[in-house]
Amino acid sequence: MKISFTINGAAQTIDIEDTNTPLLWVVRDMLDLKGTKFGCGKSACGACTLHVDGQAIRSCSYAVKFAEGKNITTIEGLGTSEKPHPVQQAWIEEIVPQCGYCQPGFMMATAALLNENPNPTDDDIDKNIINICRCATYYRMRKAIHRAAELTNKNTNAQKL
Amino acid sequence: MSKKISRRKFLVRGGLGTIGVVALGTYVFRNPLRRAMFGMIDSFVPPYSGSGTEANLWFEITKNNTVILHSPKVEMGQGTFTSLAQIVADEFDVSMNQVQVIGAATETGIVDGMSTGGSLSVAQLWQPLREMAATMREMIKNEAAKKLSIDVSSLSTKDGVISGSGKSITYAKAAEGVTKWDVPDTPALKPMKDYKFIGKPIPRIDLNAKVFGEPIFGMDAEMPDMLHAVIVRPEHVGAKYKGANIDEAEKMPGVVKVIQMDNWVGIVAKTYPEALAAKFKLKVDWDVPRKWTEEDIREIISVGNGNEMIVQKGGSSLDPEEEGVETVEFKSPIGAHAQMEPNGAVAHVKDNKATIIISTQVIGVTQKQVADALGFELENVNVIPTYLGGGFGRRLNTSHAIEAAQLSKEVGKPVKYFFTRKEEFQHDMFRPPTHHIMRGKLDENGLLEGLEHHFASGNVAIGSVIMPDMLHGILNADVGAIRGGSIQYSKVPNIRAVQWHNPLPFATSWWRSLGLLANTFAIESFVDEMAIKAAKNPAEFRLALIDDNEDGKRLKAVIKTAIDKAGYTDEVTNGRAMGFAASTDAGAPCAQVVEVSVIDNQVRVHKVTCVLDCGVAVNPDQVKAQCEGAIIMGISASMHEKMTLKDGQLYPTIYGPYDMALMKHSPREIDVHLIQGADVPLPVGEPPLGPIGAAVANAVRRITGKRLTELPLKMG
Amino acid sequence: MVFGILFASNYVNTNVDYTSINEVDKITSNSDENFDKMMSVLTHQRCVNCHPNDNIPKQGDDSHPHYFGMSRGKGNMGYDATKCTTCHQSENNEYSGVPGASEWSLAPESMKWEGLTSIEIAKSMLDPKKNGGRTHEEVMHHLTEHELVLWAWDPGVDANGNPREKPPVSKDEYIAVVKEWFKEGAIILEE
Repeated sequence: MKISFTINGAAQTIDIEDTNTPLLWVVRDMLDLKGTKFGCGKSACGACTLHVDGQAIRSCSYAVKFAEGKNITTIEGLGTSEKPHPVQQAWIEEIVPQCGYCQPGFMMATAALLNENPNPTDDDIDKNIINICRCATYYRMRKAIHRAAELTNKNTNAQKL
Repeated sequence: MSKKISRRKFLVRGGLGTIGVVALGTYVFRNPLRRAMFGMIDSFVPPYSGSGTEANLWFEITKNNTVILHSPKVEMGQGTFTSLAQIVADEFDVSMNQVQVIGAATETGIVDGMSTGGSLSVAQLWQPLREMAATMREMIKNEAAKKLSIDVSSLSTKDGVISGSGKSITYAKAAEGVTKWDVPDTPALKPMKDYKFIGKPIPRIDLNAKVFGEPIFGMDAEMPDMLHAVIVRPEHVGAKYKGANIDEAEKMPGVVKVIQMDNWVGIVAKTYPEALAAKFKLKVDWDVPRKWTEEDIREIISVGNGNEMIVQKGGSSLDPEEEGVETVEFKSPIGAHAQMEPNGAVAHVKDNKATIIISTQVIGVTQKQVADALGFELENVNVIPTYLGGGFGRRLNTSHAIEAAQLSKEVGKPVKYFFTRKEEFQHDMFRPPTHHIMRGKLDENGLLEGLEHHFASGNVAIGSVIMPDMLHGILNADVGAIRGGSIQYSKVPNIRAVQWHNPLPFATSWWRSLGLLANTFAIESFVDEMAIKAAKNPAEFRLALIDDNEDGKRLKAVIKTAIDKAGYTDEVTNGRAMGFAASTDAGAPCAQVVEVSVIDNQVRVHKVTCVLDCGVAVNPDQVKAQCEGAIIMGISASMHEKMTLKDGQLYPTIYGPYDMALMKHSPREIDVHLIQGADVPLPVGEPPLGPIGAAVANAVRRITGKRLTELPLKMG
Repeated sequence: MVFGILFASNYVNTNVDYTSINEVDKITSNSDENFDKMMSVLTHQRCVNCHPNDNIPKQGDDSHPHYFGMSRGKGNMGYDATKCTTCHQSENNEYSGVPGASEWSLAPESMKWEGLTSIEIAKSMLDPKKNGGRTHEEVMHHLTEHELVLWAWDPGVDANGNPREKPPVSKDEYIAVVKEWFKEGAIILEE
């Protein structure tokens, strides 16, 4: 069966037998975008977080059929080294990653949070950012999330002027 | 005296812009294992014990003048690649952006004969890597001298360019076409003050790859025409495979082959979801001879049960019945690694040759195990390491590489196999549970006159493929389980550290910091209790028990700095109390002060001050990052995590029920201070895991009056 | 007797063992027993897990608090960016074991059922101040037609691939007794 969606700005049509296949595996193995990670396959760790129509979605638990006509963004489409997303910029400034495996999921969750709440408090961060990082880089992540909010607001203000 | 090394094969590769590759494989010990053993016993830092003597590649220089280091150690988040790049840049005289680090594969580079672990990578490579980089620099200078017709003594190097008498040539040009190299005696290393990169907080060299989601992990590896596999393993501890009905699974879409092995069934399919869907249709019979219980495990791991090994002995032993002798028991649970990237491998077996792409901490062991299992010559197995999505000791055991190879052999195509999260939790190589009996007695001055640590644990290093059991014979103990188990208070006249060892019915092994986490929890909780009994400030109490020898001075320095930086007080203020603890692990003393509150029986850590003496911090920012991560991982292990046995199965099998510290549990403030008490780098990644559990328990004791004696720490 | 036949076929289909055909036949005209049957469903964890009294959704047959600190949040849908729909879609997911149905969310705050008796729940359910201003007719339709309510009989598998427990009364019988109970005046038996 054919399923069409937009991913990282480009139109894409895939042909797949089992339309309940988790979007994660379509993204990783069919479209070869390996930045979205498999951690648990049970929506428990958040390593597979990407955006569907701007909302954070755990893609290991999202049947690909639901992606029909939707707009998907993965870490590869969030920003590039030439033009990093404010969240990525903040992650670089604070030197957040250690092993790095969970980081795309955290950055996608953070980007979704800033879309909804441009100035998250520590409490907002605690509630919304519930992915798991075994290296426990949480301390720098929190700093980076606040920094990303600053950068985002700067950009928004700059655009207003 | 220089020597010709033209006898060695030089690897010259085309493509990818790589030219006249420079190789150097001279840093080989006559008997690395022996050296390693004595090194560990003497200094706790075994020397690097690399494999191989021929055609071993440390460095390449590319056409665009980039130096590539083939690292014998892997990068699992600890920042080693960055530190190694800094070391290379300084002695090779190149800039940071002219250095690239890749993990050495067995076919093309020198891999470490032991492992990447024990917080030893930078400590081990500090001397040899600087010497090799300096030697390489001199070798290229020699070639430049020939090409420029200038005496080598008038040449200087900077940023990958050799200059002299108004002429200059890049390293790449100087090295181009060279087939025979003159290897000079090891040149003098630069004095520390001349280093431009060593000792500086340089950003991680893998930062961009990790922030922009590049495919760098074992899970991201692919080979052409690759198939995907899942494996069904027993859920019950000790269960044995009886048989399976595979009819339905075989007929599922995409399934290529269902393979029944000794104690598992594998399904190979075209895609991973297809293999997974077929797994749901597989009906496997297991023989469960016994349903192990939590009580069984507690009985096995119990002081007085198993082999007794005296680790430390001084003066006479305490009589538990004697007036004034205090005894407190402590316990810690089974711990899971729970690293984010599942274990797995991409394997291709063809014509008695195997290629394995894998996240491993033991490249050489993985190679040997696959070769042995398949009956291949060692050199016909090429293991290519990737970045690791966390190590923490879990990837010191890579039997899944064998399984992936066996699956590939069965289907004649490359196969990617990785664990489900349930397999990770049920077939981990766990941190064994522990039981501790602490005993102590105060003298008339309120100082400790006797202190004993009796502790029981399962296998950590014993039975491990990376540590010869002979070593345990020499030390007469499990070198893993005893980490942090000795008494660091050298002025206490009567001391004992006695380990009791018993194997468990499930695999236990290395878990970041090994015995340190639980041992320090027991010792430092007890010492704190004795300080309270003596009505003394717990930090002052400890300082009075430490000799002024070199180790003692360093330990005292971290304790004093910690209480000073944290403003330690014994008072409870606004519902918050401070807790103090210190440990010495692998020669790196660490002291921590935590600020804790207890509200509605919930223990919260607000602030941690951490002082670590790690000798030379090659990259102080990454040393701090390791401390921050170790502290929160230590909070997770000490306050949240616990595996148990439920109906004969290891439980839980997923994050969530396996309760771990999240963002909201992380201290809002972590203040790390580094002390350089030695002129070489010392272990970093594990020592800061030591004090945290006891420090939190000690703070809780001050707020509530209650002594928590079991991990994870829970009120009520 | 129509009910009897209907339930007999249903009984075979769903493979749920609870009420025998004879008993079903006997009680379907009894308002009190209709009430008890309806309430045996509405007090089952499949329903009450999303009607918490502490704003924390519950999970599983043991009704443990939802892992990772999820809570009611805005519009009963969770937090700003990490919401029910971050993980729960409009269908169950067999690969992950994450349950799903359309409009997956917590019941509104006015419908805190956790810990209440059957009678308290029923009163609350019929109270327009607490049920979103619904008439009896509307409540009846909600209880018998809404996908999220009926999800209780299609709860899928858990994270280990094991089927979740269904309510103690079949879907068809539940719908029948609810309709019957409303038809007979929605009488709540007082203790």
